[in-house]
Amino acid sequence: MSMFNKIPRWNLTLFVLIVAEIIVFGMMNPRFWNVTILLNSFNDFIALAIIGFFVTLVVITGGIDISGVSIIGLTSVVTGLLSQVAGINIWISIFCAILIGGLCGLLNGVLIAYGRVQAMVMTLGGMLLYRGIAIVLVGLSGVSTYEGISGFSEGFGQIANGEVMGIPHAVLLFIIMFLIAYILLHRTRYGRYIYLTGINQNTAEYSGINTKKIIASTYVLSGLSAGIAGVVLTSYLGSARSDYGSEYLMPILTVVVLGGTFITGGKGGVVGTALASIILGFMQVGLQMAGVSTQYIGLATGVLLIVSVAFLGINSEFRFNMKRILPQKQNIGG
Amino acid sequence: MARISTIIKQRETRTLLFLILLFVVVGFINTDYLSLQNIDKSLKSSLLYIVLAVGMTFVLLTGNLDISVGGTLGLSAAVCGTILRDGGNIFLAVIAALLIGAFIGLINGFGVIKLKISSFIMTLALLSITRVVQVLYTDGKWVENIPANVKELSKIDIFGMNLLSFFVIVGVIFVQVYLSKSRKGRYYTAIGDNVDGAISLGIPVNRYIAYSFVISGISASLAGLIFVSQIGFVSTNAGAGIELTVIAACVLGGVSLIGGIGTVIGAALGAIILTSINSALVFMKVPAFWNDTISGSLLIIIVVIDALLVFHANKKAKKVRLNARVLQKGAQG
Repeated sequence: MSMFNKIPRWNLTLFVLIVAEIIVFGMMNPRFWNVTILLNSFNDFIALAIIGFFVTLVVITGGIDISGVSIIGLTSVVTGLLSQVAGINIWISIFCAILIGGLCGLLNGVLIAYGRVQAMVMTLGGMLLYRGIAIVLVGLSGVSTYEGISGFSEGFGQIANGEVMGIPHAVLLFIIMFLIAYILLHRTRYGRYIYLTGINQNTAEYSGINTKKIIASTYVLSGLSAGIAGVVLTSYLGSARSDYGSEYLMPILTVVVLGGTFITGGKGGVVGTALASIILGFMQVGLQMAGVSTQYIGLATGVLLIVSVAFLGINSEFRFNMKRILPQKQNIGG
Repeated sequence: MARISTIIKQRETRTLLFLILLFVVVGFINTDYLSLQNIDKSLKSSLLYIVLAVGMTFVLLTGNLDISVGGTLGLSAAVCGTILRDGGNIFLAVIAALLIGAFIGLINGFGVIKLKISSFIMTLALLSITRVVQVLYTDGKWVENIPANVKELSKIDIFGMNLLSFFVIVGVIFVQVYLSKSRKGRYYTAIGDNVDGAISLGIPVNRYIAYSFVISGISASLAGLIFVSQIGFVSTNAGAGIELTVIAACVLGGVSLIGGIGTVIGAALGAIILTSINSALVFMKVPAFWNDTISGSLLIIIVVIDALLVFHANKKAKKVRLNARVLQKGAQG
């Protein structure tokens, strides 16, 4: 029971942090209290939030996926090449690009789950490989690496930049992707299996769960989400480049870990990831508005990461020790 | 024990064979690749990675990970470069760089041991922090105009061999002997192989994990010094992304990320392979943009082969054990 009691409390802490951020940054620059600006700022972190939701599933199974940062670039390039160079319909191109993201995830997942390769090593290799493929595709097509592929249609740009009834598409996308991840993880049998696999893979296996399939599927989902993130980022920035997402490694892991998901697996949830990505996104916007250079944001996220993990770690250890010291109290509580 | 050591030996020989194969195949296509001059050059360009891989191996052996080496390299190179540029003493510059590396290693160790943060997260956070500190320190500018005699240092030859290469090779052999023959050196492998066992044996586990991070930090700053003397300037993103290449090099050389398996020589060979691919592409007249694809697929293929080999070895060992037990029971009955 303690596991389920604890996560909402951490989420509450995160929520308080968001409120505190809004108040503090608003006092530094009142423009931060402008709802339109705040909602539009979702565009700056939507890509990493989308990946973060599904990397959370991977991390809960006890794995890790760092290849998403390269899949962003790959899908961006594929979208651009198919639609602008090969002249295929933009929506079919997007579909193909996301599918390729899924295939990358499938390769990761199959080799990790069935090939028994360590997740970290495999996704590191995948990171090199997928980025490499993106660079090769750009190189072979003769497109300028620096300018990227541009000239997308108006409709494509609307994916990220449009709005419905005053709500930017980015916010809607954030909510939709969050709901998909939330329902998958917290409302289905599949999600339950993900937790069980992460808590103890052998036990899960003995109780009849096909853990390999579960593990492989989380990587496919993570790959697909990276594909979607790549398309959204391309739409937002208006050109396709192979180096998109290369600086996202740190933020993605930060939102997952700051969201209260244990890197060792078995504990966590996407609500925390969603809140953490908003914290990170607002911090970026807020610091920019307060006149702090973008280069220094790494300092803030790094400190935030260490402090949150240290706090989570010490907190759980503290509880564990308290329980050992006061066993009778645990009985009353349970 | 003898069996395990032979397997490890096999792994390093495989890496070496692969390196030789790479040189022979590329040599067939372009004989210039096999010239002593090019081999010397390949070695020289991989020195940086070898030094980083040696430090990383210590951390990997204990079952941890150090992502912060790129940041440490950049920061120590920037500090050392600024001191040299402003006419400071070269020894002062070296000591300052090494102290920075050791200090970052200490922070990593503190986080991992005392705050119980997973080493991956801790060092990742420190990577982004050191990057910002470097930008703050250099005001976001490149460190240029480093005196020419510093650059000359990387070009000194001894017995027809580059002095730096010589030092690094001797260093790698020394560290290898320390890790495999010395009692304390073997602690690192023991910790990674079985932490609880190591604690039961009375090995000061936490202290040695801290040592491993400090060693990795110092190696990273040594690599930073090599960077300054070989390249001659320090950009704000010096060493960006290098940490992943180094981990890839270690994995190529047979160092396990779970800990307890691997040798420094293997890691060094892995580093040479990764950098040789770069120059091999040039000699084969293949566009440089193929580099990441080839390194990535190479890494995946080798890792998958390793995983399969280990799986089959385990299966065989299990079978042998089972057979032995059945036979014993049969004898008793």
